Amino acid sequence: MDDLEFRRTLYADPNCTDENIIKAAADDPKKRAFIKELKELDAKMCDASQVNVPKDLASKLILRQTMHCHELSKKRNRINLALAASVAFVMGISFTLWQQSNLINMAEHAIAHVRAEGSYALDANENISIEQVNAKLASFGGELSGEIGQIYYANFCDFDNVRSLHMVMQLNGQKVTVFVVPNKAEYDNSSRSKDKTYQSQAVDFNRASLVVVGEDGADMTQAKQTLSQNFKFSA
Amino acid sequence: MFSRKQNNKASVSNDMANKQQRYEALVLALHSDIYRYAIWLVKDKAVAEDIVQETFLRAWKSLDSLKDEKAAKSWLITILRRENARRFERKQFDLVDIDDVSVIDESLSNEVQIEHRELRAIMASLSEEYREPLMLQIVFGYSGDEIAKQLDLNKNTVMTRLFRARNQVKDALEKSDTQWEVQNG
Repeated sequence: MDDLEFRRTLYADPNCTDENIIKAAADDPKKRAFIKELKELDAKMCDASQVNVPKDLASKLILRQTMHCHELSKKRNRINLALAASVAFVMGISFTLWQQSNLINMAEHAIAHVRAEGSYALDANENISIEQVNAKLASFGGELSGEIGQIYYANFCDFDNVRSLHMVMQLNGQKVTVFVVPNKAEYDNSSRSKDKTYQSQAVDFNRASLVVVGEDGADMTQAKQTLSQNFKFSA
Repeated sequence: MFSRKQNNKASVSNDMANKQQRYEALVLALHSDIYRYAIWLVKDKAVAEDIVQETFLRAWKSLDSLKDEKAAKSWLITILRRENARRFERKQFDLVDIDDVSVIDESLSNEVQIEHRELRAIMASLSEEYREPLMLQIVFGYSGDEIAKQLDLNKNTVMTRLFRARNQVKDALEKSDTQWEVQNG
């Protein structure tokens, strides 16, 4: 190993453990001194490089990270809260909608009732006085005032397991069936329904509902209007 | 169902506490080395502190990716160097030379202080490509292979740079010695 390469290798790494270097150094005290000198320089440079570290640096580093974590968790909490609120909101909305869709369609039920009963009530041909009707209506807190057409039939009957008044009457020249049903929360008292032969609409009167069933093509709006004018329900 | 959820929560917070412990240990063990590396890299106290802050915050965020504690130092140096590079992308700071900044340890004798100041000035005057591998070798005790890996360089390049770095330090020392002799002779 020539002198130049020896120096070059040691300049690159004074702690070099290459065999050739060690052998060359063993034979030559000058080379040993050179290595020693280089190692001393390294030690001095190492000492010189040990600048003072700010005393509070470690605490600052930990503080900064803790603050960062705190902010993150606050943000996460907000997101969680927003998520929970949205879930509750959606649940509330869907429950309301579900409940609404589960309301009993009074109009549909009335048509089914009329159809099931067949001609029994529709073909009745009595002439019932307003006083007689009012006596029956009283149990619903209702009263029929003024003249409407002839009343062919008026009797209590079962409307979806609820005692109701079943009437058949002449209304504006049409024969219609009218049910008086006490109001219940599960009734959809603004429902309307229609099939091939009948159409039906419910009218809400606070304490009770009227459900009118007429033949298809009958003027239901007018029938409803006449009923609203003549029926009174005390609060 | 509820008890399981609670267990999960407990293990999550346990994980967090573990991570916190790991992080604090990392800070205490290595912040001095990393700070000194930063000082020699940027030659400015305030900037060095900023970079070290950024480095450790980034280290916290990806602490899970550090599997081997032995690799922690070189991992942090890699983050630090990336942060330093990013600083240059953002903005070029006005740097103060390290020999202008008082970084001198008061406890040392005057003579040693003067010697250190001189050496510091010489080391600071080296260009970055020489200064960095020299620091890794002297202060961190890295081998040529380790420096090559850390700086993503060829080993021959690293050895050449180390040779030139010492050559320049030696030259500068000899020059100042002769100046000293001339002044006092």
